[in-house]
Amino acid sequence: MDFASLAAQLNTGVIAPELIVIGTLLLVLVGDLIVGRTASTRWTPYIAIAGLLVSVGALYFQWDATDTVSFLGSFNGDALSIVFRGIIALSAAVTILMSVRYIEQSGTALAEFIVILLTATVGGMFLSGADELVMIFVSLETLSISSYLLTGYTKRDPRSNEAALKYLLIGASSSAIFLYGLSLLYGLSGGQTQLGQIADTIAATGLDQSIGLVIALVFVIAGIAFKIAAVPFHQWTPDVYEGSPTPVVAFLSVGSKAAGFALAVRLLVTAFPLLNDQWRFVLTALAILSMILGNVVALAQTSMKRMLAYSSIGQAGFVMIGLVIGTDAGYSAMLFYLLVYLFMNLGAFTCVILFSLRTGTDQISEYAGLYQKDPLLTLALSVCLLSLGGIPPLAGFFGKIYLFWAGWQAGAYGLVLLGLVTSVISIYYYIRVVKMMVVKEPHEMSDVVKNYPAPNWNLVGMRPLQVGLIVSLIATSLAGILSNPLFNLVNGAVEKTPILQAAIAARKSVATDLKLQKAPRLTVSSLK
Amino acid sequence: MTLAEGVQLVSTIILSVMMIGAAIGVVLLSNIVYSAFLLGGVFISMAGLYLLLNADFVATAQVLIYVGAVNVLILFAIMLVNKRQDFAPMPKAWVRRGATAMVCAGLFALLSTMVLATPWSFSTTVPSSAGAIKAIGRHFFTDFLLPFELASVLLLMALVGAVILARREFIPESAVTDLQATPLTLPERPRELVPVGGTPSQEESK
Repeated sequence: MDFASLAAQLNTGVIAPELIVIGTLLLVLVGDLIVGRTASTRWTPYIAIAGLLVSVGALYFQWDATDTVSFLGSFNGDALSIVFRGIIALSAAVTILMSVRYIEQSGTALAEFIVILLTATVGGMFLSGADELVMIFVSLETLSISSYLLTGYTKRDPRSNEAALKYLLIGASSSAIFLYGLSLLYGLSGGQTQLGQIADTIAATGLDQSIGLVIALVFVIAGIAFKIAAVPFHQWTPDVYEGSPTPVVAFLSVGSKAAGFALAVRLLVTAFPLLNDQWRFVLTALAILSMILGNVVALAQTSMKRMLAYSSIGQAGFVMIGLVIGTDAGYSAMLFYLLVYLFMNLGAFTCVILFSLRTGTDQISEYAGLYQKDPLLTLALSVCLLSLGGIPPLAGFFGKIYLFWAGWQAGAYGLVLLGLVTSVISIYYYIRVVKMMVVKEPHEMSDVVKNYPAPNWNLVGMRPLQVGLIVSLIATSLAGILSNPLFNLVNGAVEKTPILQAAIAARKSVATDLKLQKAPRLTVSSLK
Repeated sequence: MTLAEGVQLVSTIILSVMMIGAAIGVVLLSNIVYSAFLLGGVFISMAGLYLLLNADFVATAQVLIYVGAVNVLILFAIMLVNKRQDFAPMPKAWVRRGATAMVCAGLFALLSTMVLATPWSFSTTVPSSAGAIKAIGRHFFTDFLLPFELASVLLLMALVGAVILARREFIPESAVTDLQATPLTLPERPRELVPVGGTPSQEESK
């Protein structure tokens, strides 16, 4: 194979968005080294955001591409991966907006923070399209190791150190378990590493009922569930979310989680079509546990960050409903909810950051009476929290109703009912915060709100925070009512993705077979 | 059984016993320095197993990277910390140990059943030690090109991260006063600022 034909086969254009992010990363790193720390603070965040937005634009131009497989099968940039990569890049951009002031005030270097965040973004974006075992593992590790570094970024804070160490240890063991599962897949398929070929070889050799495949499935799901923080693999979440810098928490709860879901869809649908019912069963159990535990434990939290941590566990449970039912509508509802969740969760975190920057606390009781002092912050936080709870007409309501409708259509009645009940529970703890801010009389104000400094948007890094706040506020309020473009986007993504279409078709044919088998049995029993 | 096969079988058994014994020692010994040295033993025996499988490049890499770099690094870390700490024996520690042993034994039983019960599909290509390095290189630059290049981004970021974690923060005096003058506070993250002028005495004392 000579060089020219190899270069033509690589189809490098597919990874152009990632290349743009890597270029931005190098620019920020080298530029910071050249001009020095104080000078670079002025332009590095904006360069990074511009790079991420250009990368999203490059993704838009790939929407209609037909030749999506690149690097000889290592990476598949199909429409599904484009949506996930867009979500991850956008979440990184909003995270940078909210981190400028925070990092400035915590007295650490901004450029390195952005470099590590961009590396995590690159890892997540590659993970969304990785179609081959080695690529999956390397990109997963790129995402994970940069997440550990971000978690421990404020290294003079002992809680940040503790969070980083916990995350590192639990993350390393879960990576090891995941890798064991991957190595079993490699062995079972006789040395294949591409997901599609693994499934074909296993089906051809008749290993579909072997215990080895089941154990590989369990180990792989354990690794994925750690990434999306599904119960019972969630133990790291509250401590890590409480200890790490708040912008990092925002990225972990949106970007990293979206990457985990992208990995789950591609790996489970492509490599485990033979164990379709088994992985759906395991994920159903995880979804039920996540919805119940996440939402119930969030009731008892007094710290805002911990509450958002548990609520994000519950939200992951809702998203898993769409993955479990595995219909057209299910997958697109999952994508739609992730898109909406991006804006509402990042908006909530922006508000939490703003409040803690001005008062230095994130206790829920300290929010009492905030309405009197800062109406904009109160409005934004209320809208985001109510949207997370699913109050109409905000975006979260439409996301949830689409998910539950898809679940009901597919016959997952139990899951949908449980989702409804836990949503009601979640509304309680979200509204508690809103009530604390809005309803309290002036004399019930907490001390920190009484001493609340006058909003000053002219300090370094406050403008980006304000922009992030307004953007997520507008997106959260309008994405529900004007949701048609988003619906078209997610429906198109599911329709244009061959792996999902194949899985849906296979599932439909199995369902009709079952109906045909069941029909005579029903008549016999009714005769008796 | 020819002589070669006999030698291979005996060496496999010896290496496996060495590896399992050393690995059990790593977990069970309470002195962390012994554990670190035994970890080196585990890596060496694993390299021997790779040699028996005709994978001499992997064996060399195993010795160079794991024994030469990772294990030495672990020993350095242990010796730099240099803290003898005797852990107070916990009451009812045997309950935890028993539970751990049962979980491990159950997992081992499950995995060995799986290994024995699965009809593995073996790769049909004949392993050749001569062309191994060439084959690995060809893979790196054809079908594993993307992960290979992504690993360079990963390593760059790990380098930057290690520097960030290891360096001391020096904040100029003017910036300290400037930061404290702002009406915004962040007391949830306590920080001890290290002024540029005030450190040489500390440095010397160390």
